Amino acid sequence: MKQWKKPNTISMLAMLTVVLVSTLAVTLFKNRIDVADAVDPTQPTVAPTPIPRAWEARQTAAEHRSAEVVPLVKEVLKETPAQRRARFGDKVPQIEDIEYSYFLLNNPIIEKEGNLYGRVRFMHKKHAGILKDCFICHHHRAADPKAPDISRCSACHQDSFNAELPGRIGLKGAHHRQCMGCHKKWNRGPVGCTECHPKNVPDHTNLVKLPWNPKPTDVTKECLRCHDVQAEEMLTSTHWLWKGPSPFTEGSEKRIDLGKATKTINNFLIHIASNLPRCTSCHAGYGWKEATFDFTDKTRIDCLVCHDTSKTYVKAPLGAGMPDLKVDLVHVAKKVGKPSRKTCGSCHFSGGGEDPVKHGKLNPFLDFHSSSCDIHMGGLGFECHECHKTRNHKISGRSLALPVAEGSRSCEDCHTAIPHQGKALLNHHLNRHTEHIACTTCHNPFYAKCDPSKTFWDWSTAGNKKRKVKKDEHGMPDYDWKMGDFRWENRVKPAYAWYNGKVKRHILGDKINTEGVTVLTEPVGDIKDPNSKIYPLKFMGGIQAADAVHNYLLVPHLFGPGGYLETMDWQKSFAEGMKAAGLPYSGQYKWVETIMYIGLNHEVLPKKFALSCVQCHASLRTERSCGRCHQDKHEVDFKNLAFQGIDFKILHGKGRDVQERVESTYYIGFEKLGYKGDPILFGGRFKQLPLGWRLGSKKE
Amino acid sequence: MEINRRQFFGIAGTMAGGALACKPKKTQAARTLKAPPDPYGCLMDITACVGCRKCEEACNRVNNLPPPQVSFDDPRPLERKRRPVVTAYTVVNRYHTGKRDQRNQLIPTFVKVQCMHCQDPGCVSACIVGALTKKDNGAVHYDASKCIGCRYCMVACPFQIPAYDYHDPLTPKVHKSTFCYHLIIKEGGKPACAVICPVEAITFGKRRQLLGLARQKIKNDPGRYLDRIYGEHEVGGTSWLYISGEPFEKLGFLDLPTRPIPHLTETIQHGMFRYMWAPLSLFAVLGGFMWTFNRKQITGDSEPERKEGSI
Repeated sequence: MKQWKKPNTISMLAMLTVVLVSTLAVTLFKNRIDVADAVDPTQPTVAPTPIPRAWEARQTAAEHRSAEVVPLVKEVLKETPAQRRARFGDKVPQIEDIEYSYFLLNNPIIEKEGNLYGRVRFMHKKHAGILKDCFICHHHRAADPKAPDISRCSACHQDSFNAELPGRIGLKGAHHRQCMGCHKKWNRGPVGCTECHPKNVPDHTNLVKLPWNPKPTDVTKECLRCHDVQAEEMLTSTHWLWKGPSPFTEGSEKRIDLGKATKTINNFLIHIASNLPRCTSCHAGYGWKEATFDFTDKTRIDCLVCHDTSKTYVKAPLGAGMPDLKVDLVHVAKKVGKPSRKTCGSCHFSGGGEDPVKHGKLNPFLDFHSSSCDIHMGGLGFECHECHKTRNHKISGRSLALPVAEGSRSCEDCHTAIPHQGKALLNHHLNRHTEHIACTTCHNPFYAKCDPSKTFWDWSTAGNKKRKVKKDEHGMPDYDWKMGDFRWENRVKPAYAWYNGKVKRHILGDKINTEGVTVLTEPVGDIKDPNSKIYPLKFMGGIQAADAVHNYLLVPHLFGPGGYLETMDWQKSFAEGMKAAGLPYSGQYKWVETIMYIGLNHEVLPKKFALSCVQCHASLRTERSCGRCHQDKHEVDFKNLAFQGIDFKILHGKGRDVQERVESTYYIGFEKLGYKGDPILFGGRFKQLPLGWRLGSKKE
Repeated sequence: MEINRRQFFGIAGTMAGGALACKPKKTQAARTLKAPPDPYGCLMDITACVGCRKCEEACNRVNNLPPPQVSFDDPRPLERKRRPVVTAYTVVNRYHTGKRDQRNQLIPTFVKVQCMHCQDPGCVSACIVGALTKKDNGAVHYDASKCIGCRYCMVACPFQIPAYDYHDPLTPKVHKSTFCYHLIIKEGGKPACAVICPVEAITFGKRRQLLGLARQKIKNDPGRYLDRIYGEHEVGGTSWLYISGEPFEKLGFLDLPTRPIPHLTETIQHGMFRYMWAPLSLFAVLGGFMWTFNRKQITGDSEPERKEGSI
């Protein structure tokens, strides 16, 4: 019996250990799951407003087409382009005959050989409009007389090296030869790999080697193991330095030191000096809480904020760029990839402190593919980097509100200067407008489409704890005792101004306008300047503090210990803020009015929802035909042309809250822009319209 | 007839020399091209290549080669002429032949360089242990387990392709394009460089069919191509074929004879052993020596005595 007791105790001990260990493991594992579950921003917190959901249909249809494999055409009719044209005679296909204007160039045939790159977006109609000859690309037809005359590339070009059809090139080769060959020949259009399609990022799950619960800088060190060159590029980028070249700021074209980090000032949260941990919670780095932050330390770069694809990475609001403690960094690091709307939006959607405050054109709804605030991001599923082409971590694009630019992007880069394709009369007239009007003027007729945006901020009234906060019609508060009065607006009509690309900018230390409103950013342009176009702009009004003696704008210390939000003492706040900004403070302050203009290049609407002719040209509303300027033709349907379905009625019908604008006219206001009146009556910028005889007869 | 020692050597030497000089001519017809009957090949259309270096990238990936110092997306390596090395079995070189486009810009021409996988390869003939073999599918295959590191293949290659692990003292290997042997032995397998080529400048297929395709291309577009298929006849034909719009001499191609490289060496070597005449004549010569020597010894038995006597 004694012999049996010993193994019994041992086995019991062993069992106990097993139970203990397993409980521990389960607890740990559970914690881990909790961590992953805790932050799940994929689920929208706010239910989207009623918006049309049909926009993505075009994208889904294109995706469907790109996944199709059609039967291979084996026999091809041999004919020269001239023979082909002769066979068609008068019945040569026109742009109007195009069935699908948009394709995604990809196919299972290509993908089965490996996909280094993502799909290409192909603007079919645009190419047809520029080439004006379908047979340049659609060079052959099937020998079968019943087959359609024009078929897609993949009907004839499929697998490469098909032994049965020697010399028949594969689909991938056909796409590349056709596109690159033509682009090279005409010296137009992209020829580089990543100019057309984004490069796919390899799976990093097994490449990333990290210990349990690493520090953020450990993650960066792991990235640097392979991506040291990329880190070097990052060290000189705007997203790291928050300053850089300002080629579009008037008077500062050659400067390279302007930016948020130095002297840019606005009328939202004013300036970053003394407010670092809050403002730099959007910095692509870790721990910029002091002005002494080391901008040459590669290990402080935050790779994950841009390259996270797990959608679980968030930065702490007051953490000077450090990630939220709940984030599982190992999980995120193993899931790195290309930036997305989500990652760019984690900072850019919440400019001004929180979601849709600042921009009026970027909002979290853009992150959801189904949303239709923007035709590109919402309807067609564009990621930010597809337009904002990036090379060596320098991201192209510029802004009116900020001086820094690492390249420029415009609608014309893809859509060309004659974007309205087709022979219809309306297209002709619209293309005549593109020299004078930016695309967004018509295609972005109102901003803050999906979310209200702040359009006015009065800091002077802050500090009244007793005042009752009212919610406006958008459900937004009109007052915050820490921050003063606000005005929120939804679906706002933009301000319109001439803009030639240059910006007049008020920087920290500039004298304010003592007699009126101080303009912080203002587009440069004039009706007489041929490079200027009419642009829609967000108008942001504000009341902020200026030094009563030195007459420059003051930087308040707002966040953190001793900040205004804590002490409610403006004097202390300004003294500390100006000390951090490196400018003297006289001890006296006054409240001054400032305004800012912010560009509206996102949230673009497709043609159905763009402004119609009568929307701006009130004179057309009373017309019955084209007879005022042209010889009247019976076949031209004037009503259809000038009023063609692009009215607020449609938008209203689709669920947008724009009822008050239905039937409105004189939308952009010609007098404010320097015209005598409607250019149809009074002539355009550089010439009178051919038969604008009414100009004299009506005036005199 | 009496001949002395010197005369005998003279006659023997002349006979041997004459035999060596005469033999090759007689046996030339006997040595046939040692080529597989229906091998695979690749036809590279130099006019289509855009110099993207994707083939280098694919080659690197398929052969598990070390990552490059300069990224494959970077065009800078094209600035100098490169040769295949231990870490890169294929390279793309850029040539400016002086041709200009409408905007008066020099038009670059890109040439992919790799093992040509000769029909009758010099390296296979030179390899003394059979580590290199010409496979039926066209690949010149290297078996590292047999290699003794003599590097005769490097000397024998007319294109100077094989590279050697000089830095590796213990297990050095010869490195050269594998023709993706492990891929193309499978049904439907293709070499990685041909698959990845975005413009399909490389066509993979049966060599016979590719020659037909090349001829057809040249015939259909004589303005675009020169009437020459490099690799059709060079060193007895190669599995890799090139067609170009620029003279091959300007693109770094060597002007090589149509005779396979092993032809001369193997003819000499094989001729020597034909009908066992070389060993037989060697034995005869040696026998002759022995005979004379023996005779001298037999007859010379008295000589020392005579010498002794004279002393």
